[in-house]
Amino acid sequence: MKLKILAGIAALILAPAAIAQSGERIAVFTKNQTNPFFQVLRMGADSAAKQMGATTTHLIPTKPDSIPEQMSLIDDVVIKKPSAIVFTPVDVKAMVPGIQKLNAAGIPVVNVNDRAEGGKFVAFVGSSDHALGVATGRYLLQALGGKGSVIIIEGVKGSGASAERVRGFQDALKEFPQVKLLASQPGNFQRLQALQVMENLMQTHAQIDGVLAANDSMASGVIEALEGANRKSQVIGINGTKEAIDAIKAGKLLATGDYNGYLQGCVSTMAAIRELRKLPVPKEVIFPPTVVHKGNYQPLDVPLESRSCPKWEDVVKEAAKS
Amino acid sequence: MSKANRVALTASLPRRGLPQLPGVAWLLLALLLGLSAVAPGFASAANALNVAQQATLLLLLALPMTLIVMTEGLDLSMGASLSLCTVVLAVVSLGSGSLALGIAAALLAAVLIGLLNGVLIAWLELPPFVATLGTLGVAQGLALVLAEGRSTSGVGDGLATLWNGAVMGLPVPLLFAAAAWGLFHVLLHHTRFGVAVIALGGNREALKLAGMNERGSLIAVYALGGLFVGLAALLLGARLGGGHPTAAIGMEFDAIAAVAVGGTLFERGKGSLGGTVLGVLAVGVMRNGLNLLSMPSSLQVAAVGAVVIVALVVDALRGQQH
Amino acid sequence: MNTLVQKIHLAPEQRSLLLRVIVLLLIGAGLALVSSAFLGANNLLNLLRQASLVFLLASGLTLVILCGGLDLSIGANVALSACLAATVMKATGSPLAGCAVGLASGLLVGAVNGLLVTRVRVPPFIATYGTLWILHGLTYWFMAGDTIHGFPPAFRFLGSGYWLGVPVPVFLMFGVLALGTLFLQYTTMGQEIYATGSNTEAAALSGVPVLNRRLLVYMLSGGMAGLASLVFLARLNSAEGDMGEALTLQAVGAVLIGGTSLFGGTGTLAGTLVGALVLTVVLNGMNLLAISANWQPLITGVIVIVSVAADALSRRRSGD
Repeated sequence: MKLKILAGIAALILAPAAIAQSGERIAVFTKNQTNPFFQVLRMGADSAAKQMGATTTHLIPTKPDSIPEQMSLIDDVVIKKPSAIVFTPVDVKAMVPGIQKLNAAGIPVVNVNDRAEGGKFVAFVGSSDHALGVATGRYLLQALGGKGSVIIIEGVKGSGASAERVRGFQDALKEFPQVKLLASQPGNFQRLQALQVMENLMQTHAQIDGVLAANDSMASGVIEALEGANRKSQVIGINGTKEAIDAIKAGKLLATGDYNGYLQGCVSTMAAIRELRKLPVPKEVIFPPTVVHKGNYQPLDVPLESRSCPKWEDVVKEAAKS
Repeated sequence: MSKANRVALTASLPRRGLPQLPGVAWLLLALLLGLSAVAPGFASAANALNVAQQATLLLLLALPMTLIVMTEGLDLSMGASLSLCTVVLAVVSLGSGSLALGIAAALLAAVLIGLLNGVLIAWLELPPFVATLGTLGVAQGLALVLAEGRSTSGVGDGLATLWNGAVMGLPVPLLFAAAAWGLFHVLLHHTRFGVAVIALGGNREALKLAGMNERGSLIAVYALGGLFVGLAALLLGARLGGGHPTAAIGMEFDAIAAVAVGGTLFERGKGSLGGTVLGVLAVGVMRNGLNLLSMPSSLQVAAVGAVVIVALVVDALRGQQH
Repeated sequence: MNTLVQKIHLAPEQRSLLLRVIVLLLIGAGLALVSSAFLGANNLLNLLRQASLVFLLASGLTLVILCGGLDLSIGANVALSACLAATVMKATGSPLAGCAVGLASGLLVGAVNGLLVTRVRVPPFIATYGTLWILHGLTYWFMAGDTIHGFPPAFRFLGSGYWLGVPVPVFLMFGVLALGTLFLQYTTMGQEIYATGSNTEAAALSGVPVLNRRLLVYMLSGGMAGLASLVFLARLNSAEGDMGEALTLQAVGAVLIGGTSLFGGTGTLAGTLVGALVLTVVLNGMNLLAISANWQPLITGVIVIVSVAADALSRRRSGD
């Protein structure tokens, strides 16, 4: 018992010294362990923390995208009291009570990737799904010369990201009235499902000139289906994963919308740390939509380990332009 | 049924409950001691309350599941039904403007699904696995269709007190859970219904000979499960501030695992409600502890599976299984 | 033993299979009427290939259920085996090495399940549910959120290739069907599997090595998951941590719709094949008719209930 008291006193004395070393603890919430996009985001977060002298812990549901689990993780984190939180909600509506709990506990939260529909945040860091949909869709439609027929492969019905990207595709289509939309079916952001949906759709439509897939995994599935049937279409995806870059290099994928996972991780963590250090942080950092294609993929074609976070000032300047 | 017959029936059944402390109790003890020593923040009142509160949802499912497993059945539809009922709660409350109506509708939907299960199993004599697998699909499909395009959040503060409120310092969910446990204990050990449940697992002939309605009792067991799914939906809805069609997917598996870990066997009508409570706590404590320890998520996933198996292995080795 | 054998070869099983084939043809006919694309050669070939993925996985599961058990870990097994196979293939450049690793991994998982159920006496539901989590954990940790993609064409032939105009997985499907049926119906071991599922005590008394047969079917289930993972990998040309998530439930559905009884002792691989086809045709139809995917779980659930209920009713009528 005496030892405990001594230890407690020692900790109290040493604590101010510890804080002076600014080892902020950032808790990073992501949706699942399986989607490569979040892996990239986490790496960006880790990299930013390391550069700024802070540490990160990752909180990921064991069941992918599980709402009750992320709720439980929030409850747990309130006990652990990290310095700040970087948060991607598993569901933009359902997680609001959880975020309010974090607000009540006084922990600053930066919202990253999926914009939550409630709760108070220090900042939102992300890319606009809608803008990406428009830009990437437009790229494909231009490549088609503004005519022909296309299909849309949606993500998960009810997911905010999917709805916004598809809305972007449809808005892009409005700019090219001569292009016909043959079908719009969900592939659940899953490779196999997109493959089979594409296989099935190819039976009903003899001529498909372009496919707008709401993410890269599905785009890959679509490409497999096309190759299997010996048919050709222009395909675009969204996310900017390594696999997509390789597919662009090989000429199989036309383009992918860069969702900037690494940057999102970097910037959201930098924002959280800056908030703790009383440095200015803009309310929103939205990355301008970038379409990655054969002409400009090189900077992204580097192994993640060798990437490092850009300077804060550069990022904010770029984002302010959009 | 005459008293003499009932005494004879009870005497002919296998002993209720388990003779010694089940493996799960030792497991829980080990977890509590170990985690208190190594996990920061684990051994605090706030965290204990945290874990207990999180466990209530699962407990509300696991208690009726104990009875169902005792009758040599299982209910795979609980998670989907739970999700559906949160959606019903939200849609009806928001659509009609009356929370009370929403609550009634959610409870009704849950009981109906429970009755459906009971009828399929008791009357059509489908294997419980199959029947509840089928109703899982039905409930899931209904939840998705009902939720699409409809607002399912913002159900309101009236419900939120169900999760956040406290009576004499104890959170409402805990009181709920304690009351549920008490209720099931009385049902199982002090009513004719309880005798019927045990007979359904251990000795169905005796049940018929004693003049009790086999089919009716079995349907009642599943309907009771449905009722508690409905109550759990109220809690989950309160926690989420609304409904979500896939919020509770897979929870029935956790409930079954907790029941099994708690020592209730799939055959011969031996059951332990206390064991189930310990099982639910063991899983919850473990997840909480691993989170506080910042163990990598993927290893947490493996750990859950390992714990489930280990608990049963221990029981098997100690000769508590047949 | 002779009486057991006689019981197994009764007409009711063939009757139930015929009924299912008729239902499948009816559904197909209905779809052909409302969608002009359904009967196209390409669509039918696609259907067969899509069904073969489910069937390969469900075939092992059929044996396990015939023997009175259950295996919930097959989807997770597919993911781990595929990821291991993919890693080895990338590292060594050899499809053969990858295939060997994938199959071995599947078999090993099956053996673990089998041992848990037979030696340690853990109920199959819990044992395979536990291993499911462990496999998921191992796979996620191993893959660390990455995907592995791009495999040699020689390997991809297994999943995407055609032979004589028919997709390769379809040949695998029929091959497994033929070999499996021969095994079940015409070898002692196969008959012993039926006997064990039908009435374990009686089988044990007749001298059937019940525990060994149970272990065997779990290993076969794991092995088939390994094979399925290779075909899956070849088809998708990519490995990621959550592969095969949805396949477990589809495989279970295929087995149940196909008429195999969860009580053990009744069922055929041919039935599972029909079950797999029913599920695939329904999904195909929904795509062709542009029906919202939200209805899929509902329709699948109803089909499972109806087919099993029909069996139960006919069994009652024949006074079983």
